[in-house]
Amino acid sequence: MSTEAAAPIVVASAAGNMRPPSRRSIAGREIGRAAIAVIIAMIATVIIIFFVSKSPTDAFMTLLTAPFSKTRTIGLWVDDVAKLTVTGLAFSLVFQARQFALGVQGQLYVGALAAAYVALSPIGQTWLGLPLGVLCAMIAGGIYGFLPGIAKARLGANEIVSTLMLNYIAVELCNFLVRVQLVPPGSGLLTTDRFPKPSLYPVLVPNTRIDLGLIFAILAVLIVWFALYRTSWGLKLRLVGHNARFAEYAGIKSNFIMVSAMTAAGALGGLLGSMFVQGQAFGQLTVLFEGGFAFEGVLIAIVARNRPLAVPVVALFYAYLRQGAQLMNIRTDVPAEVISVVAAIIILLVASQFGLPAWLKRYAVGNRAGATR
Amino acid sequence: MAFIEATGIGRIYPGGVVANDGVNLSVEKGEVHAVVGENGAGKSTLMKILFGIERPDAGTLTLDGKEMHFSGPRDAIDAGIGMVFQHFSLVPSFSVYENVALGSEPNKGIRFDREKAIAEVRALSDRFRLNVDPMPPVRTLPVGQQQRVEILKALYRNARVLILDEPTAVLAPQEVAELFVAIRSLIDQGKTVIFIAHKLPEVLEISNTITVMRQGKTVGRVKAADVTEHSLATMMVGREVVLRVDRAATKVGAEVCAVDGLTLLTPRGSDLCRDLHLSVKSGEILGLVGVEGNGQAEVIEAIAGLRHVAAGEIRVANENIVPMTVLERRSRGIASIPEDRLAEGLASGASVAENIVATRLGDKSFVRGGLLDLKAIKANAAALIERFSIRVGGPGVPVGTLSGGNMQKVVVARELAQQPKLLLVSQPTRGVDLGATQFIWRTIAGARDAGAAVLLSSADLSELLALSDRLLVFYRGRIVAAFRNRDGLSPETLGSYMLGLSEQTPDEMQAALA
Repeated sequence: MSTEAAAPIVVASAAGNMRPPSRRSIAGREIGRAAIAVIIAMIATVIIIFFVSKSPTDAFMTLLTAPFSKTRTIGLWVDDVAKLTVTGLAFSLVFQARQFALGVQGQLYVGALAAAYVALSPIGQTWLGLPLGVLCAMIAGGIYGFLPGIAKARLGANEIVSTLMLNYIAVELCNFLVRVQLVPPGSGLLTTDRFPKPSLYPVLVPNTRIDLGLIFAILAVLIVWFALYRTSWGLKLRLVGHNARFAEYAGIKSNFIMVSAMTAAGALGGLLGSMFVQGQAFGQLTVLFEGGFAFEGVLIAIVARNRPLAVPVVALFYAYLRQGAQLMNIRTDVPAEVISVVAAIIILLVASQFGLPAWLKRYAVGNRAGATR
Repeated sequence: MAFIEATGIGRIYPGGVVANDGVNLSVEKGEVHAVVGENGAGKSTLMKILFGIERPDAGTLTLDGKEMHFSGPRDAIDAGIGMVFQHFSLVPSFSVYENVALGSEPNKGIRFDREKAIAEVRALSDRFRLNVDPMPPVRTLPVGQQQRVEILKALYRNARVLILDEPTAVLAPQEVAELFVAIRSLIDQGKTVIFIAHKLPEVLEISNTITVMRQGKTVGRVKAADVTEHSLATMMVGREVVLRVDRAATKVGAEVCAVDGLTLLTPRGSDLCRDLHLSVKSGEILGLVGVEGNGQAEVIEAIAGLRHVAAGEIRVANENIVPMTVLERRSRGIASIPEDRLAEGLASGASVAENIVATRLGDKSFVRGGLLDLKAIKANAAALIERFSIRVGGPGVPVGTLSGGNMQKVVVARELAQQPKLLLVSQPTRGVDLGATQFIWRTIAGARDAGAAVLLSSADLSELLALSDRLLVFYRGRIVAAFRNRDGLSPETLGSYMLGLSEQTPDEMQAALA
């Protein structure tokens, strides 16, 4: 049933009186929706904490306020924001082209491997270690994004399956190479030596994890936004995402767009790998260091509706919740897994484009109409 | 007091769009009541209010003397109102009876009583002459039958009033006839039917009373017997409508496009058309006539580059375009208005401006060094919105929010922004209101007068007869007849060739075109 198909026209005869929903009001509605999703999720959290905890108020207050309690915890939060932003951007890019490629995790591992090889080589001791590490990570990630893209274009391989499989390969490749090559022989460690200083991201705020990665994340937001909304490549990508048959009819090479979008997203995934291992948080390569972090980008992208400028905003909120949950885990008797429940509820509510019950909507609309403007 | 009485209905959508403004509707029991109006006149909103999907901001609704306040479709169904939408809500893999019973299944204990459901559906189908077998899965049925399954769903829930939202838009002429048989039998047995439409001949044929809407208001309620197609159209549009395009004595020029020995295959390898020859010259509109699926639309798709060519040549300006990409074809002056604007002609989530520029991303005036010139794109879109009088708030509005006619105008504006050499047109006015139809016809004729060669295919014979200079009739992938469009040519003549009842000899075809 199409609800908007029969768009009613305005009775006023002057065309100037037509008021289509402005961009701002659409954005307002989206933000309102996201906010309500968060509120509902928080209510669920309160209920869970109430059942789980012996001192529910303390636990809930820790969740809400702990990230702000110290400079160090603020640093943890900001570092998380930067990384969530990059994975959110990578997913947004492929989602906008309507490719359900889930390969950021694999790209992250191959990127991290590439960065580690650079950092642990003699070059890593020189000033070249940092930029070359980042570059190699992005190239490796880009190739790892290109592969499922070309496999889809040439062979019709479903990108969901191929990217998930490639993720396993990358995780285990990293596991293998760390154990047999990158760790000093016979040491039995699962972690490489700490990377030499020139290969590490410089710290922006002393005594925190806030480092060059934050700058990279901000740049990535701006570049992705510019590419999507100011270049013809971006317009083609969005048109392919809106309606691939239309794109074909208009003469857009949708296969090229698809492969290039997946490659670009792969480069972002590679960058994220470098941000992990060359950043202050690790400064070394550990097996399984990522722990499923990359997939948080799916949540970020869905809630941000694949809008690059909305991605960091969503990341800001979500990282706060994540850090709050971690600290709640440490300081109280509520486990951090609670946050997965919150995330799941938010995703469900946002992805289902839930509507408010009629009585609530009427109340909200009535209030807005009553407000003086 | 009438059976259904809606008085002073008002509905303002959030954002200030006034969809209904003091609408009155009064429907007698046991009649077919048509509600006509252009796209955007507020018909659908009114029906949604009757069916409880929308709540009116003003006005009252009474059914059988009782005032009604529906808070959802469930209330309307309980009150005995059923609605069949243009887009069906059926489960394709379920059988007919399962679809009909879904949600109100007869039970035996806790089990679904299939026997009872089948029997009830069969009885309903027989009683109302709907001619639907309860057993086959819905996806195997033609559209007309699926529609009657929707009607069965409403009847199964004891609907006394049936609202049909543009039921004929999706049907072939024979299916329309079958639907009308069913509607008449519903009326005979005391049901009331509200019929939304904008094809006026059908409205006049089936309905007893007609309510005309324009710009959210009711402008009149008339007996079908008292009006003509012309007077009804004038009421709808609010001014005189001339659905005729003057055929200027255009100068037919040189051959622009020649199709030579063209063979097209279905994915399964059977013929869509075989060894086809046709040619179209500058300054003429060549109408391709045929019942849907006889190859005429497919030939147009092949020329546009959207369908694989198995054998043969398509020459445009003496160049074989078969190996060319869509973009190369477009750069040679081929423009195309596709059959299904939502599936192929537009990206409904993208803005009007983005849709208009989509085919010209290689053009230096819009894209330089890979960067979009947003100012130029917006200005171009604004100019075309003005030139093609597209009713839209601005170039940045998503195309999907426009009415059907205005969406189609966006497609036409994009394709005819520059004068094409060869214009391919399929179903240019399907689901488009009268005002926009008139405009689109004039625009296509204007492109022809400016020297374009036009290939036109349409399911609407009156459209083909109004626009074409020559007509070719397709039957099972072959051309079976050719005509010059002179005043004597009637739809009946074309029909007998379309259905394969007669066929011209090659000599006759030659003679007809001479």
